[in-house]
Amino acid sequence: MKSIRTMALLGVGVTALAATAPALSQDQVILRLLPYHTDAMVENYNPNNPTGPQQRMRDFAYEPLWIDNIWHPGENEEALAVSWEIGEDLKSITYKLREGVKWSDGEDFNADDVVFSYEYAKAHPDYPMGIDVFNGETGNVTGAEKIDDYTVRFTLNEPDALARYGLNGLYPLPEHVWKDVEDPKNFANLDVVATGPWTKPANFSRNGHDLCRNELSRYNDENAIDCLRFPQMNGNEQTVAALSAGDLDWLGDGLTDPDVTFLPQSEFNNYWLPAGSDVNLQLNTTRAPFDNLEFRKAMSVAIDRDTLLEIATFGLTTETKYPIGTGEMYNTWYDPEALEPYTWLMQYDPDKAMELLDAAGFVDADNDGWRDNPDGTPIAFGISMPSGWTDWVNTGQTVAENLQDIGINASLKTMDQGAWFDAAPRGDFDVYVMWTNSGPTPYNQYSPMFNPRLMVEGQIDFQAMHQMQIPEVEAALDVFKGSADEATQRAALTDIHKAVAENLPVISLFANPVWYEYSTRRFTGWVTEEDQRFRPQVHDGTRERVWHALSLKPIEGAQF
Amino acid sequence: MIFLARRLVFYFAAFFLAITFNFLIPRLMPGDPSDRIIASFQGRLNEAQVAAIRQSYGLDGSLWEQYLDYVGSVFRLDFGISTVQFPEPTASLLFYGATWTLVLVGLSIALAFVIGSMMGIRAAWNRGGFFDSFFTPINVMMNAFTPAIVALVLFYAFSLQLRWFPLGRAHDPNLMAGFDLQFIGSVLYHATLPVLSIFLVSFGGWHLGMRNVMINLLNDDFVILARAKGLSDNRVKYRYVARNAILPQITSLALSVGYMLGGALVTEQVFNYPGLGKFTFTAIQSRDYSFIQGQLLLLTTAVLIANLLSDIANVILDPRLRKG
Repeated sequence: MKSIRTMALLGVGVTALAATAPALSQDQVILRLLPYHTDAMVENYNPNNPTGPQQRMRDFAYEPLWIDNIWHPGENEEALAVSWEIGEDLKSITYKLREGVKWSDGEDFNADDVVFSYEYAKAHPDYPMGIDVFNGETGNVTGAEKIDDYTVRFTLNEPDALARYGLNGLYPLPEHVWKDVEDPKNFANLDVVATGPWTKPANFSRNGHDLCRNELSRYNDENAIDCLRFPQMNGNEQTVAALSAGDLDWLGDGLTDPDVTFLPQSEFNNYWLPAGSDVNLQLNTTRAPFDNLEFRKAMSVAIDRDTLLEIATFGLTTETKYPIGTGEMYNTWYDPEALEPYTWLMQYDPDKAMELLDAAGFVDADNDGWRDNPDGTPIAFGISMPSGWTDWVNTGQTVAENLQDIGINASLKTMDQGAWFDAAPRGDFDVYVMWTNSGPTPYNQYSPMFNPRLMVEGQIDFQAMHQMQIPEVEAALDVFKGSADEATQRAALTDIHKAVAENLPVISLFANPVWYEYSTRRFTGWVTEEDQRFRPQVHDGTRERVWHALSLKPIEGAQF
Repeated sequence: MIFLARRLVFYFAAFFLAITFNFLIPRLMPGDPSDRIIASFQGRLNEAQVAAIRQSYGLDGSLWEQYLDYVGSVFRLDFGISTVQFPEPTASLLFYGATWTLVLVGLSIALAFVIGSMMGIRAAWNRGGFFDSFFTPINVMMNAFTPAIVALVLFYAFSLQLRWFPLGRAHDPNLMAGFDLQFIGSVLYHATLPVLSIFLVSFGGWHLGMRNVMINLLNDDFVILARAKGLSDNRVKYRYVARNAILPQITSLALSVGYMLGGALVTEQVFNYPGLGKFTFTAIQSRDYSFIQGQLLLLTTAVLIANLLSDIANVILDPRLRKG
């Protein structure tokens, strides 16, 4: 009896141990990456769920029509489409699709899937597929027509030379699966059917999951990575420690003083921070003193941008040359001659600032040591930013000090992140430090920035917080959009640049870094400063990330 | 018995009051949870779509209708859908977080209570001696430390530099949950540093409390009688004095247990421990109202139940209460 019991216990014990042994075989090549922070992984593989699943599933599992190579436009951009053509009247775009692509369950990919995706987006407007569907009031895409098995034509409501940028980012859904899905927003998509290099979810737990190789993908032969692993992580201490310890290979988190806090932790730690989109001061021009152009000019000249670059943001940001609201990311679109007369606005000159203020009537009327409005009312305002964002808090502090030096009662106003986000659409602020949008062309930034619809109280867009409507800019934006000719577009953009520099609705500060960290412990082939093949970020929104993953090769002898 | 029955009625009333406040507070604040969702569409929704979104968040209909709806959903244990982890049901996240918070904070409180009380007993018995003069001030001083600093220091020293303990998480991610030795071992290994960081800042409180109550009791007649009878020191210490001193401690313990479900925010953040504190913090930052409401309800219920248990425990342990 006793021996039987012992054996039974032993058996149970061994089975238990065996059952809890790691489920992967040790010779699989695994890339560990963190596109976003979360507290708990959810079992959801829906490619259009922006709270998290999209970050994992887009690009790696689901492919878009076209991958815009932002740094080298025109090179190797074909994905599920192999060419596009804009109609003569700029009211249609025709895509030729790639032939021979199979979904991961064996079905063929063809124009039916693309047309279905458009119709599906139209039928479910609360499901954000990224198509600007025309619904009678807003949007522009009015239809998708199948020309033949591998050609689709999208028609537009108004002429728009830039519509392809939006449609390029469409991730077609397989018709044979999604036609039965009635509520896409709540759909978890547990059986992933897609065309990308990794489409098989595996090993799901609250701590993370894997996404493994799609044998039917056209990338399969060149793909050296068997599985992508998405761990659940939250908090910068954790993520940086994980990279240093070998629990992560690819990361995109903000760092403070990386040469001191990050590099020394491991010989395999690397980072590179290319210049990203600009950071501006958004001034609420519906309030005094920001409604005065001379005041805004004085503010711009009073700011010591060198200190901002070197000290406030720990040397991690890059300089912006012109006061035009966007920056180095779009430097191929500059017309330096036209913008040369405005460079003085970016030079630190507190004396000049005081001259401008004196001339405009901003003097100390009540002798309290601070300048007042020309009508005598006092000036006092806060520069708002979220309290945890150290580099921006430093920025706000420096700007406030610079302004105090010329006699303006400006102070720092740090707030809870949620409150900061909430106050913007309501128009409840004086000055905000604010990022700008990135996108294939500067249109993506200027369009929301000067769209009167987005300046309505209650719905104020982050880029339109200044609330200044400039008709020349709106007209120039229409010209930009309405012409496929590059010269015309450039001329229109120069008009926009000049209008922004003349009117200063926002004050340009610096260009944010693009956060990119990686470990050379297990993989080579990373994009570096010396080898700037394409944008290196791990986040969703950078469609080039799938190329990055595919170009990584395991190092001999690395442990996975 | 009547005492308990009266308490039960009181607790039920308190529970209903809590539900009502839980319902009212988000609705009294400017803006409502659906505003954010609607704003994210940047003006691309029409009237019907906006109405559909408000309905899915239970924000349509009159206030009274919404209230009845809400009370009904509470009793169905339907806490809505999380906006941060859309469309995961809030209940599943709450349950996951609550389990690990119970493990983490439960272990910490248990250890702190037992060890702190034992030290308090010894300090009281030999009051003025070496143990008391050395440990009492030190423990009280440690109680004043911020859990944040302690957690970060432990993380930096033992997880990052010495690599003696894992970087975080509740258990090895490769192990599947189950009541087997390997898994439990992994849970305990991963919980060591987080539990230590909470233990270090809390056991001083129990030490001091126990010591002070006991010192008051040591001069009582029954103690003098016990010693006069010739009973051993240990017997008097534990069976006579400590046994009486434990009563107010039990009440404090019950209250701490109740607040347990608030989670230990900073410790969980530093050690990536999937507890309620961490989830609630993220929910507050992202205005995930259904999660915040669910968590508030859970916490209120836990405190009420803990109070009820404390009342029951007092009745059992203290004969003086049985007559009422």
